[in-house]
Amino acid sequence: MTPAGFDVAVIGGGLVGTAIGYGLVRRGLRVAILDEDDTAYRASRGNFALVWVQSKGLGMPRYAGWTQHSADIWASFAADLHARTGIDVAYSRPGGFTLALSEAELERRRAMLARLHAQPGMIPYPYEFVDRTRLEQVFPGLGPEVVGASYCPLDGHVNSLRLFRALHTGFAALGGCYLPGHKVETISGHSPGFSLATAGGPITADRIVLAAGIGNAQLGPMVGINAPVRPQRGQVIVTEKAAPFLTHPIVTLRQTDEGGIMIGDSLEEVGADTHTGLGVLATMAERAVRMFPALGRLNVVRTWAALRVMTPDGFPIYDQSVAAPGAFLCTCHSGVTLAAVHADELAAMIAGNGLPDTLAPFSGRRFDVPAAA
Amino acid sequence: MRTLPDVAALAPAYDVAVVGAGPAGMAAAIAAAAHGLSVLVADEAPAPGGQIYRAVTTTRVRRRSLLGADYWRGAPLAAAFAAAPVDTLPEASVWHLDDACVLGVSAQGASRLVTARHVILATGALERPFPVRGWTEPGVMTVGAAQILLKSSGLVATGRVVLAGTGPLLWLLASQYLASGAPPALILDTTPRANWRLAAPHLPAFLCSPYALKGLRLMARVRRRVPVISDVTGLGIDRDGAAQLVTYRHGDGRSGAAAADIVLLHQGVVPNVNLAGAAGCALEWNDTQACWQPQTDAWGMTSVAHIALAGDGAGILGAEAAAVRGKLAGLAAACALGAITPQTRDRLAARPRAALRRCGRGRAFLDALYRPAGSMRVAPPDAIACRCEEVTGADIRAAVRDLHVTGPNQMKAFLRCGMGPCQGRMCALTVAETIAEARGVSPAEVGTMRLRSPVKPLTLGELASLPRSEADTKAVLRG
Repeated sequence: MTPAGFDVAVIGGGLVGTAIGYGLVRRGLRVAILDEDDTAYRASRGNFALVWVQSKGLGMPRYAGWTQHSADIWASFAADLHARTGIDVAYSRPGGFTLALSEAELERRRAMLARLHAQPGMIPYPYEFVDRTRLEQVFPGLGPEVVGASYCPLDGHVNSLRLFRALHTGFAALGGCYLPGHKVETISGHSPGFSLATAGGPITADRIVLAAGIGNAQLGPMVGINAPVRPQRGQVIVTEKAAPFLTHPIVTLRQTDEGGIMIGDSLEEVGADTHTGLGVLATMAERAVRMFPALGRLNVVRTWAALRVMTPDGFPIYDQSVAAPGAFLCTCHSGVTLAAVHADELAAMIAGNGLPDTLAPFSGRRFDVPAAA
Repeated sequence: MRTLPDVAALAPAYDVAVVGAGPAGMAAAIAAAAHGLSVLVADEAPAPGGQIYRAVTTTRVRRRSLLGADYWRGAPLAAAFAAAPVDTLPEASVWHLDDACVLGVSAQGASRLVTARHVILATGALERPFPVRGWTEPGVMTVGAAQILLKSSGLVATGRVVLAGTGPLLWLLASQYLASGAPPALILDTTPRANWRLAAPHLPAFLCSPYALKGLRLMARVRRRVPVISDVTGLGIDRDGAAQLVTYRHGDGRSGAAAADIVLLHQGVVPNVNLAGAAGCALEWNDTQACWQPQTDAWGMTSVAHIALAGDGAGILGAEAAAVRGKLAGLAAACALGAITPQTRDRLAARPRAALRRCGRGRAFLDALYRPAGSMRVAPPDAIACRCEEVTGADIRAAVRDLHVTGPNQMKAFLRCGMGPCQGRMCALTVAETIAEARGVSPAEVGTMRLRSPVKPLTLGELASLPRSEADTKAVLRG
């Protein structure tokens, strides 16, 4: 039932791989998405469902622009998905806040955003600081310790599970071939194209896209691409559903369209360990309750941990192989925000003439600098 | 037994923490405390007894014959438990357990972490889901829930009560209803006809067991007074005004319908594996009982050091066996913590082991006879599989067919099944078996939902009150 060869094989069935795969089938290509099985690490499941601009790009202005562009085309991306699949991913862009629980936190925030915007080559985006008086009008029930917030009108959020389902549904409807149980073991070039040895049997494709999250660290070198990604643990809490009360997403706290409150944004260097830790969860819960005391009465229904796919400088890698033309690699930890640009521009580049010079800052070669002796 | 008023009264650490105060938990606590270990027993009910001996020390039911001799068998055990030097925390939920034997305990809206050197999970059994069309409608409940009302409050359902399903508990409740003067209107027996043939080789052993005579008498008593329709192979419930219309299909293709005010469903019990699974204990598929159970050795030890299981939570063997398995787990705890030598443990275990063999007689017959039909264990297209998120059998089949979803963890992402307030505690088995059927493979291959704490709800405020280290704070608060 599997066609003998594909135009493109995308390795990885998470948000990154599926967004690219969806973009490719939309351009009429024969595409396979090769995925692992039911219990893979799946960084996609740990996302916070923000389409987020504020604070991104300190250290790489090109990333700030790339992010901003994706956020700008997100509405049309969501509309396209809805039209093709009937699935409403609940994208909204009411603008987002970062709340500060002390003057010191607020000052750190001010300094950080000032540094971000002072970078040469930075495409500026609107943001402002909101004092407590104005904040109280936006957020009834604000805790007494909240002193202020930064606000960016470009920020929004979605229902990321529905995004995931819509991408898979659209991919399948356009003739894409999703193959679970096809963990890729080795990649070899054959002329022309690539042969992949997978847990589910061999696959051949003219082009390949490595979107395997943490797995890219092993797969990249097989096609001569350096992708030194490591897992970084993040933990998430979600509460029972509540009546709508949060009109805007806050970077660490949001109410989903279905009513549950998500609380997130921890960061731990513990390797590929997806256990939750009560101390970190308690800290997150405590900060959430200080922001909105009424949250303390809601039941926690679920906590989980997932692994961010992190590069040494924290920015994505978009790369194409010189040694094995037709092999691409994509890795990032903002698979929701960047889904729109992955399905659109990035898929077009992969389907067309490859990555342009404008994406050169994202190449994995930036990590090639030898370690100091 | 010292009953603690709240979590503040808990000691920060115990030698042994027992979760559940049913027969296994009570027996385990008694055995461990007998060797000088400090023991905590946390239980969800207001009084010890578990499901089987629920409210045995407090029930309002005075006429002993109503609940039967087997129920009152719990009274001496509860009395011994009351006399044992253990701390108990009633009306408490244990929502967290990890491989460091740290337990998260919640009672009266407050939570606390307790560390144990050894943990015995006596979390018992849950009723197997019965995902037929209409099972979530008002007026439909489980036989187990009906029995809780009877044991704790002396309440019986009134009007036309239709019992549907299979398994000993179905017949026991029917007889208890008869004894309370409220005979069920009808029993729809879904025991697959083929099971009789599969069970027959185990019949001689069953006839030697203590269950045989009791069980056969009980069934005969029910059959004399209640109409029974056997070989029911299909079932659906539809609302009909304030009442329910139960439609059923026979093995021979005929069908029928019965009006009911209350429908009580049951098709056996399965181990409650939620806490064990969340603690990281390896689970295995038991194909004979068609359920997941933690891997355990002869002492109830799991794959995680110092976490043991006792009773039906380690595989269904019944109440009498549960008490014996509890005793064995208590002895193993005493030995693991150095309170007794392995020689003493083995000597003290000799009689319980013999008793366990006696209790096990007849189990193979019951397992074979009452193994519910596969068609009753999967959600048909028109039935709800996940109640919290209202996911139907049709949704799951479509996701397998169209989106090639292979297992329940991926299915959560696609359909949210198992992501509601129950976190898959109710639907995990149905979802896995429905996926397995749609894929044409065994549930063992499909796997089960990954379990995590909290396995019971706690408030965000409770979570916020827990202790944290500087590293924990730094992981969240970054400049």
